[in-house]
Amino acid sequence: MTAPLPKRIIKETERLQTEPVPGISAQPHDDNARYFDVTVQGPDGSCYEGGVFNLELFLPDDYPMTPPRIRFLTRIYHPNIDRLGRICLDVLKNNWSPALQIRTILLSIQALLGAPNPEDPLNEAVAKQWKDNQAEAIKNAREWTKLYAQPKE
Amino acid sequence: MKFGQEYQQALANEDFPKEWRESAIEYKHLKKCIKKVHKELQSLGLHPDTLRRMSEWVGDSQPEHQDSKDYYSATAPTLSSVPEEFAPQLRVLVDGKTGMPLDATLAPETKSALQKLAKHEMMSAGRRDYLRIPQPPSNHAVRRSSVVSVLTEDIAEEPEDARWVQLPLASAKNFYDMLEPSVQELEVLREAETAKLEEDILDLGDAVENVVQPVREGMEATRKMNYRDLYFWREMFRLYTEKPIFYSGTEARRGAFTFTEAKSRLQAYDTKLREIGLLDQMKTPQARLAAQQFLDLNVKILRIMHFQEMNARAMTKILKKFDKRTHLEGNVFLKDIGTKHPALLTNSGKQGQLQSPGGFANSIARDLNAEIASKVLAIVPQPDDWDCPVCYSMAWKPVSLGCCKSVYCIRCIIKLQDEGMKRCPVCNQETVMKADGRNINFEAMEFLQKYFPMETRKRQKENEKAALVREHGEAFVKPGCAIQ
Repeated sequence: MTAPLPKRIIKETERLQTEPVPGISAQPHDDNARYFDVTVQGPDGSCYEGGVFNLELFLPDDYPMTPPRIRFLTRIYHPNIDRLGRICLDVLKNNWSPALQIRTILLSIQALLGAPNPEDPLNEAVAKQWKDNQAEAIKNAREWTKLYAQPKE
Repeated sequence: MKFGQEYQQALANEDFPKEWRESAIEYKHLKKCIKKVHKELQSLGLHPDTLRRMSEWVGDSQPEHQDSKDYYSATAPTLSSVPEEFAPQLRVLVDGKTGMPLDATLAPETKSALQKLAKHEMMSAGRRDYLRIPQPPSNHAVRRSSVVSVLTEDIAEEPEDARWVQLPLASAKNFYDMLEPSVQELEVLREAETAKLEEDILDLGDAVENVVQPVREGMEATRKMNYRDLYFWREMFRLYTEKPIFYSGTEARRGAFTFTEAKSRLQAYDTKLREIGLLDQMKTPQARLAAQQFLDLNVKILRIMHFQEMNARAMTKILKKFDKRTHLEGNVFLKDIGTKHPALLTNSGKQGQLQSPGGFANSIARDLNAEIASKVLAIVPQPDDWDCPVCYSMAWKPVSLGCCKSVYCIRCIIKLQDEGMKRCPVCNQETVMKADGRNINFEAMEFLQKYFPMETRKRQKENEKAALVREHGEAFVKPGCAIQ
């Protein structure tokens, strides 16, 4: 069943290893080169600072015609990320372009942590909190980060 | 090994041209000079500790004093109102009549030594201005001057008679007189050497262009060179850009490598070239000559980098030493150099663990790296430059959508059309559906055929196969099928 890995995926993977993006790592599984373990560090100055978030990323068969599928494994208090870790991000859906890549998508996700957008919520409860009492919401996000997203020793 | 010895040895042993050596910082002499300054200060009874204590005390003065009693202010003895030809000097607040220093904490013998000097100064200077009213500090006026002020504690008792007296320090002046020309010579040397190397790079560019020009049609017989040389050069330059030697432009690490790093990188590159035997495979003597020229150029860059880095280190070290031994604020001079010749000093690792080589070395590495990339490496196009932004394979046959400069391969555009993706993947304009045979970029096609004959042939076969799959289904071209 295994079709040869497209050149594009090979090249992207290589470059992710040789020139990693600071604060982001993506490691393909040995038995499935389309499945990546990803970690993203919370951006400095955000309420996720100090946290290390695990994500899973999968490149579907028709990648790059369709976007990678990606979700958070680490719990996170964020208006655009739901309880299952699904992410509401335009470039992962309608605004996907085959010229985007794993690296740019992960950078967008890191940027999303730095700039939560409660106007376009995926997690209604968190988004409401964010709009009603932002200070409290940020406090929650910090607490969750301490609770769930601590880097492993 | 002490730095002084290390420095002298490197200067002597490395293969530096004579005029370079003459411009080098005279570390040994400067060190002797510091000893003299130290002695002179000691003869005045001013130990480094005393000086430091006093200058620190000035620095810590509370600003409110400035308003009530301006002669008491800390701003008076700072480096303001310093004339251009100023020599390093002590500025001491003394009794206006007797010339007795007014710092109660000074030892008696120090006081009398300073008093003697001060009296002499006051007599010779005659109508020197009283520096009772401090001028606001203006840092731009700072020119190789170093001032340590000695403030008094009992000044409040007889303020009318207090005055600032400037005591020149001959030996410290020597130190700066020796250092300053070196700094300028180094700057001149850097400019000259960089210009020379840029010439070399241009020459090399011509040489490379000569040997890699793809064979024009109908000229095959007259050209001695083989088009395979093009591939050797490409591999040579690909390895060169893959692990850059002098300057790294990756996200994780941007900046010049230190001399030691660059040296080992160049060695690794050389070893790699030998391992794959690339140079021996070159067909024409001109090509081999140009390759040698390329390697020599890198060695030359490395050498000037080494020299400049050593000097930057010597400069930082000697000024630190000056500071430590005399507390005459050599670091002010250091900062001054930093602003005037930002390229010269070693960057003391401000960005944490990222050690960058010093100044000139850094800018040489960056400038020449860019120069090589644009004047030499660019002559041999790399296949990566012609990747289709969608499949990351060579954009063959090349298609331009007309909305932006991106070049796609024809297969990817067909695929995008099949999927109904209307927008150009790079610039997002709705141009995909309109594309047809007229969008084939013939100029790029000719170029690719010329520079990448092997790649384009391979891609052509892949395309034909993909077209068959599209038309007749996957099974039609499965391995094992009879059409092979």
